[in-house]
Amino acid sequence: MRKSALVGWALLAPSLLLLGGLVGYPILYNFWLSLFAKHAFLPAQTFVGLGNYRYFATDEEFWRSVGYGGIYAGSTIVLQLGLGVVAALLLNETFHGRGLLRGVVLFPYTIPTVVAVILWKWLLNDSYGLVDYVLVATGATRIPPAWLGKDYIMWSLIVTSVWQFFPFVVVTYLARLQTIPPELYEAATVDGAGAWRRFLHVTLPQTGAVLFVIVLLRGIWMFTKFDTVWLMAGEGGVSQYVRTLPVYAYERTFTYLQAGMGATLAVLMFGLLAGATAVYFGLFREEEIVS
Amino acid sequence: MKNQIGRPRPRTLAPRLSRRQFLTGTTATAAGLALLGRGPAVLGQQVRELQVWHTEVEPQTVKTVQEGSIAEFERRFPGFKVRQQPLAWGDLNTKLLAAIAAGSPPDLTHLNPFMTASLYTKGLLRPMDELIRALGEKDIHEATQKLQYFDGRYYGVTHAMGGIYIAERRDLREQKGLKPPQTYADLVDLAAALTEEGTRYGLTMPGEKLYIGFSFPAEWLASNGGSWVDPTTWRPRLASRAMVETLQFLRRLNPFMPPSWSGQKYLDTLAALATGKVAMAYLSGARTIGYVERDAPEGMRDPEHFQPMFRPHGPSGQTGVSALDGENWTVFSQSKYPQEAFEFLRIFYKREHYMKYCHSVPIHLTPIFKSMINDPEYLAHPRIRKWRSWHDAMITGLREHRFLPIGFSRPDDKLLPFLAELDGSGIVADMVIAAMVGGADPDAAAVRAQQRAEELLTQLGFKRWS
Repeated sequence: MRKSALVGWALLAPSLLLLGGLVGYPILYNFWLSLFAKHAFLPAQTFVGLGNYRYFATDEEFWRSVGYGGIYAGSTIVLQLGLGVVAALLLNETFHGRGLLRGVVLFPYTIPTVVAVILWKWLLNDSYGLVDYVLVATGATRIPPAWLGKDYIMWSLIVTSVWQFFPFVVVTYLARLQTIPPELYEAATVDGAGAWRRFLHVTLPQTGAVLFVIVLLRGIWMFTKFDTVWLMAGEGGVSQYVRTLPVYAYERTFTYLQAGMGATLAVLMFGLLAGATAVYFGLFREEEIVS
Repeated sequence: MKNQIGRPRPRTLAPRLSRRQFLTGTTATAAGLALLGRGPAVLGQQVRELQVWHTEVEPQTVKTVQEGSIAEFERRFPGFKVRQQPLAWGDLNTKLLAAIAAGSPPDLTHLNPFMTASLYTKGLLRPMDELIRALGEKDIHEATQKLQYFDGRYYGVTHAMGGIYIAERRDLREQKGLKPPQTYADLVDLAAALTEEGTRYGLTMPGEKLYIGFSFPAEWLASNGGSWVDPTTWRPRLASRAMVETLQFLRRLNPFMPPSWSGQKYLDTLAALATGKVAMAYLSGARTIGYVERDAPEGMRDPEHFQPMFRPHGPSGQTGVSALDGENWTVFSQSKYPQEAFEFLRIFYKREHYMKYCHSVPIHLTPIFKSMINDPEYLAHPRIRKWRSWHDAMITGLREHRFLPIGFSRPDDKLLPFLAELDGSGIVADMVIAAMVGGADPDAAAVRAQQRAEELLTQLGFKRWS
């Protein structure tokens, strides 16, 4: 028995080493780094204990970043979910050209983020962008709005992100829709249920589990989204009005050159996400299990 | 002799080869090729690579360096190969710091003057007094000569100089009967006069952090009697009168700028000027000429329409000051081939190579040697002849001490070891944008920036005030 246990551990060892090296070590090292005032590139470092955490507890920039991150993640998730579910329901119907349309809907998700952002920045540019050109040409406005200026930059960022990531919801939700037994709909129709009631009482309960996972994954991904935000606003300019937590962590590390501070922000981001996930599980886990 | 299907086997010219002969021959050939490939190493002439990084990314400049200085260096130092790596200005600092941290910096690199003090205090730079003497210490222009001079020794030499100006549509200003602005208030009035709602804005500037959060604020401080920090205590002076007055001026200027200016990049602003969407571009060097010659309407690609103007000064200042674009060559103490790096620089500054280098982007790359600035051969370049007023502006600016290195609010800022971190933090950019487009009260924005800057310098260990 003891020998077989040893063999078991020996067989597990490569996986444990791999997980420990690739997942455990970086997380622990990051936490260790968060206890230091450490220059990003030079060897200078001083142990400060929880000093970095105390600093961020009262740092206005940190809380502002949490706020912007919340607005960005929250609104993009709601919009992706709404748009994605509606699109999936439509694509689940039978009509001519459905296959082609299913492929086209996937397109935004398959292109690189940098291409998507350049495309949208070009469309929204107030000097030569198509959107403002159409608005002015149709007489909708005389002075083109500055979509990439302070007042609209968050909206522009949200639109770009929703456009790029809603296909994930479409694909995932559509896959689940296709596995719902048609008999359930037939029975509901016989009972006199209209389209809305069929959706409410058949589709929604059947797809609860997949919605649970979609919200969880997209929530994590949008809250930690860096590339789209960075490419859209960059540094300086109006970037301070969309400076989410990942961007702030990056700036602390690579532009302020304070690696310890950056590591602290990463730990805090991890804590915030873990907390939010725990609450989410607490609120909706039963529904998921029932589903 | 017949094959299996009864046809005669074709005759072959090659003699029959046994397996042993084939294997022996192949092995000998492979060994020979390997030996040839490592020939120079075997003969004691191992190819060594001199890593040279610089910030002049224009293709014609890269080609000029390759065909001039590098070609001569490689001829004179057989066994050495020079690898030049042109880097965008904004990428240099991060890449350089990462290379230093990894213990493998380039042998020779451009360095922003505001970073030099930081690296010097850490003992990372190698002195180059001998080279400076060989180049002609007294011939190097005073505007650049002692930017990297610490404790009686030279640690860098500027590659070339380029003045920064406001580029204007001179014809539009003259139509209005207005003079070039001398003060902040003049510039606001001029921008207002040149703005035509819906068709043209008076002025634009790039919103990138490097400019709006570092280069311009240093100029504004210098032009309004201020400085980044107290010279003795290093306490930041972002809430000083010099800065608050500047923020008030910027707020007055903002209505005459495109609504999305803060999202624009440097080259966008030059395109906007060349195509008539704005009447003035706040950030302009002689590179602007290239964009004007490419994008401006036919018949307008000349200095009668596009002209440089000096920065105005603020109510508490005497003279408008702007940045002098000019990184310095530096050799690190960790450089692998320092002597060869210095030899490369001697070749780089040789008259025939250096003249071609400066001509690769005329006026933007103005020579550092006083003897060459007004040299007829240098001035004979067609673009300098055509755009002579831009060259003259450069000379006037140098004579009137209107230039400081990028990010300097006063000459002694070369001694501040934290300018790179201040630039990187974006604290100043946040302040300027909040006051200009965010509707924040200039005093409040300045106080907040002051507090953040004090926190930053304290965290970095540079707090000297009590």
